[in-house]
Amino acid sequence: MLEEILKSIVEMEEEEAVKKAKEYLDGGGDPQKLLEVCRDAMGEVGSRFEKGEYFLSELILGGEIFRQIMEFTLPKLQSGSVKKIGKIVLGTVKEDVHNIGKDIFKVFAEASGFEVIDLGIDTPEEKFVEAVKEHKPDIVGMSCLITAGVTSMKKTVDKLKEAGLRDSVKIIIGGGRVDESVKEFAGADAWADDAAKGVRLCKQLIGVEG
Amino acid sequence: MVSNAKELAEKRMARLMAAINLEEPDKVPLAGVGGDIVPAYAGISMYEYCYDVEKAVKATEKFIKDFPCDWPFAASVVGLDGRVFNVAFSEFPDICINLTFITGPMHDALGDKYYRYPGREISPDSSPQFIGGAFMEADEYDKLIADPVKFIAETVLPRACRNLETPRKAMAAMVRLGREISNFNALMGQIVGKMIENGYPAMALGGAYAPLDLIGDFLRGVENLLLDIRRCPEKVKAAAEALVEPIMNYALAHKSIGANLAFIPLHLNEYLSPKLYKEFYWPTLKEVIERLVKEGFKVMVFFEGKHDAHLETILELPKGWGVAYFEKTDVVKAKEVLKGHTCVMGGIPMGLIVGGTPAQIDEYVKNLLEKVKPGGGFILAPGVGTAPRETPLENIKALVEAVEKYG
Amino acid sequence: MKSPEELAKERMRRIEAAVNLEEPDRVPFSGVGGDVIAAYAGITQEEFCFDYKKAKEAIVKFNRDFPCDWTFAAGFVGVGVPPLTYAFADDPDVSATVGMAMFGTIHDITGDVCTRYPGREIESNCSPQFIGGKFMEVEEYDDLIENPVKFIAEVIIPRICRNMNTPRKAMAAMIRLGIEAEKIKSFAMEVGMELAKLGYPSIPITLGYTPLDLIGDGLRDELNLILDLRRYPDKVRKACEALVEPILKVGLALKPLGIKYAFIPLHLNEYLSPELYNEFYWPYLKEVIMGFAKEGIKSFVFFEGRHDAHLETILELPKGWGIAYFEKTDVRKAKEILKGHTCVMGGVPISLIVSGTPEKIDSYVKELLEEVKPGGGYILATSVGIAPKETPVENIKALIEAVEKYGKY
Repeated sequence: MLEEILKSIVEMEEEEAVKKAKEYLDGGGDPQKLLEVCRDAMGEVGSRFEKGEYFLSELILGGEIFRQIMEFTLPKLQSGSVKKIGKIVLGTVKEDVHNIGKDIFKVFAEASGFEVIDLGIDTPEEKFVEAVKEHKPDIVGMSCLITAGVTSMKKTVDKLKEAGLRDSVKIIIGGGRVDESVKEFAGADAWADDAAKGVRLCKQLIGVEG
Repeated sequence: MVSNAKELAEKRMARLMAAINLEEPDKVPLAGVGGDIVPAYAGISMYEYCYDVEKAVKATEKFIKDFPCDWPFAASVVGLDGRVFNVAFSEFPDICINLTFITGPMHDALGDKYYRYPGREISPDSSPQFIGGAFMEADEYDKLIADPVKFIAETVLPRACRNLETPRKAMAAMVRLGREISNFNALMGQIVGKMIENGYPAMALGGAYAPLDLIGDFLRGVENLLLDIRRCPEKVKAAAEALVEPIMNYALAHKSIGANLAFIPLHLNEYLSPKLYKEFYWPTLKEVIERLVKEGFKVMVFFEGKHDAHLETILELPKGWGVAYFEKTDVVKAKEVLKGHTCVMGGIPMGLIVGGTPAQIDEYVKNLLEKVKPGGGFILAPGVGTAPRETPLENIKALVEAVEKYG
Repeated sequence: MKSPEELAKERMRRIEAAVNLEEPDRVPFSGVGGDVIAAYAGITQEEFCFDYKKAKEAIVKFNRDFPCDWTFAAGFVGVGVPPLTYAFADDPDVSATVGMAMFGTIHDITGDVCTRYPGREIESNCSPQFIGGKFMEVEEYDDLIENPVKFIAEVIIPRICRNMNTPRKAMAAMIRLGIEAEKIKSFAMEVGMELAKLGYPSIPITLGYTPLDLIGDGLRDELNLILDLRRYPDKVRKACEALVEPILKVGLALKPLGIKYAFIPLHLNEYLSPELYNEFYWPYLKEVIMGFAKEGIKSFVFFEGRHDAHLETILELPKGWGIAYFEKTDVRKAKEILKGHTCVMGGVPISLIVSGTPEKIDSYVKELLEEVKPGGGYILATSVGIAPKETPVENIKALIEAVEKYGKY
């Protein structure tokens, strides 16, 4: 049954996957195991994306299937029983009000076992600094869509340096307009312009096998 | 030249203001003629005058240059009365003040059934005309009373304007109307520029309306309304009352352009007996005028036709409220009744200008001014401002000269 | 010293040679624009979006100091509301003025919820941004299919535009739109005249859209649409089909002005697998491009993101159909595939201009041009035209000089 669920998710059979997951739980299945299978499925979707077999639309649909299954699975899990592999403070940088890239990444990061603290859009540098102080994350994730966001990323990294927090976190930047030279310019540790790569790099950054 | 023009404009303005304030100016101010004669004099068709901004400005400039007066009120506007649109947009001050005159291109944008324009429904040489019509049923008074702006904007206008029939069509029509407002404002800007160059005072004119006229002219049609007054008097009265507020919103919106004179052309006044006038027409008109005066406006009312039967009612208004412009009412009699209370305007029958001779005009003005000049508070003007295109130019000249001589 | 007319002719010839797949005297260069224009003039983004006079002066100053062959990127000032454009598809005279009116003043009039403007929803020095939203329910696909223009005008617009959510407010807003359109028209004419004095050719452009993008950007929101593709494929296909005609009508409304190009910015192309692209996206985009071609208008398509997976489909178009402007697609590879068939545009990552040095830019352009210059049919441009306000001006200068140095044939 779990294997069928995994296959349905990976093959983008939305109705089938959700239906089987429900049946599995209704039949007394272990929600913890279901969660793990769903995570594996999302990992496979991500890896197919990175191989060029899947495209953004499959990432989005995969995320939607995952979200639907989690809606009735998470309440059945005992709190604290869900093991987190790391913590990410995430936000779209100052001056940029787009959320799509950040949100797709968030679904995949959570599906991979990260705890994600979402700061929203148009996030001032200070808010990142405060969040790092408060949540002590492993990773800071910054997203942008417009070119103006590139300089906001640099400013945010500078602010983290000023606050003496730069070395306590890994920084990954993501979004449609970032690349290696933006990473260098901003002073980040990694960059990705898709969610699958982003999550894989996050795992690498904290030493978990990608 | 520039300073001369400025001085001249100031002089003319002082002359007008003195008359409006019931004082004696240096000379009786003259409001000039306008209308079809303006394009005719420039050798362009009425169609060109209504649709070609450049030609209209040139024609206006030529006319006000060659036939000087103190107030070229009638010569400066190329459009027909659009008060139903003022009310429909009375919630939006920036828009409603731009719809007092519906120009030919605005008429095209709206596809309305109220007006006839040269080169469109009528021949290129005809004057633009207001036809009106019935776009509201007798059983709809309650809707009009409940929310006049909503009813007019959402129910009446889609019936009265072909291009507002569906919301989708209305969207495009309104964008076009906006473009034409923009063009009209550019035209008026140019005309005002020419007026200033030629020594005329630039006076921002506001506007209002008699509530009952709005019903007669734009909603029910005059004949239907006259029957309604008999058949459902209470509803008619309530409807006129309901229209006061939106009309006031429209009128007061002119504060933003610095206007302090509001023009109200009357229409049904002549149709009504003193009894009906006092019951259905005057109370709401009076309220509009009084409220405008309270807000610091002077009001200029054009009393169409013969207003003799209702002259005394004007005395109910506060002294110095504004200008009473008469068409066919005997101004000598009016001056007698309103002396020291209301500035009187008018006096020259259009028939005299069209059909008379310079000598007759000279004689007429001499006699008239002897009677109405003393004490001030008088503006000489033709009974209606619109002179037909065949008006003899020497007669217009004679009028200008006669005022110079006897004023 | 060349006269402005001569200079404009020379630049025009250069661009046209590239579009016609020939070798011009030098690789034509389409300059950067965006936030840097306002920053360079010392005005805020808010002023740039709301003050015609300041915007004009900024655009002229920028184009004077940073010359290029084609000021395409420097002409746009803001972001628009796509459905508003298509609400007027049946009224070409209106769509011709309102359709291209992307200015903050228009945003104030519409009160739309799908864009964010500096000094309004966001700080006065932020870029204006399009964020879209969901304005149509799944159940409404049939209405959209039956009469797309009516549905967009009467159902969608009141949902998107706060100032048009009642019939009366809509009428007032439309009048204001018309008044503003006249101001924008004079603004555009004045900018055009000033640019002509600087020797820039006048290249009037109309707008095209891919039907699926119009649904994604303007109606359903892209995420919902991606799910719709799986859940309601027939409806989506029919909706795309229904939108081709209004899209062409709006684009062709500007034809009387003598336009030669239709700009079609793509969005969802990168999101889709070849299978989905060929089913939902490409057939209708192709119809739009062919519709323009039939009227003698070349399409100028911006392929956002990576278009690598769909590159071959471009070959289905007739040779010389227009310009393929690539963002992240490798232009070397694109040039290889499209050589002799399609004019290729792009090549310089905007991040290089933002974060690189003049030396890096020089050597990048040198290497790039060695590969893509031969045979012509190429226009050099940055991956996206919008340069952020902190972009070092020496880098923009370095780009201009590098094209001059290495671009000659």
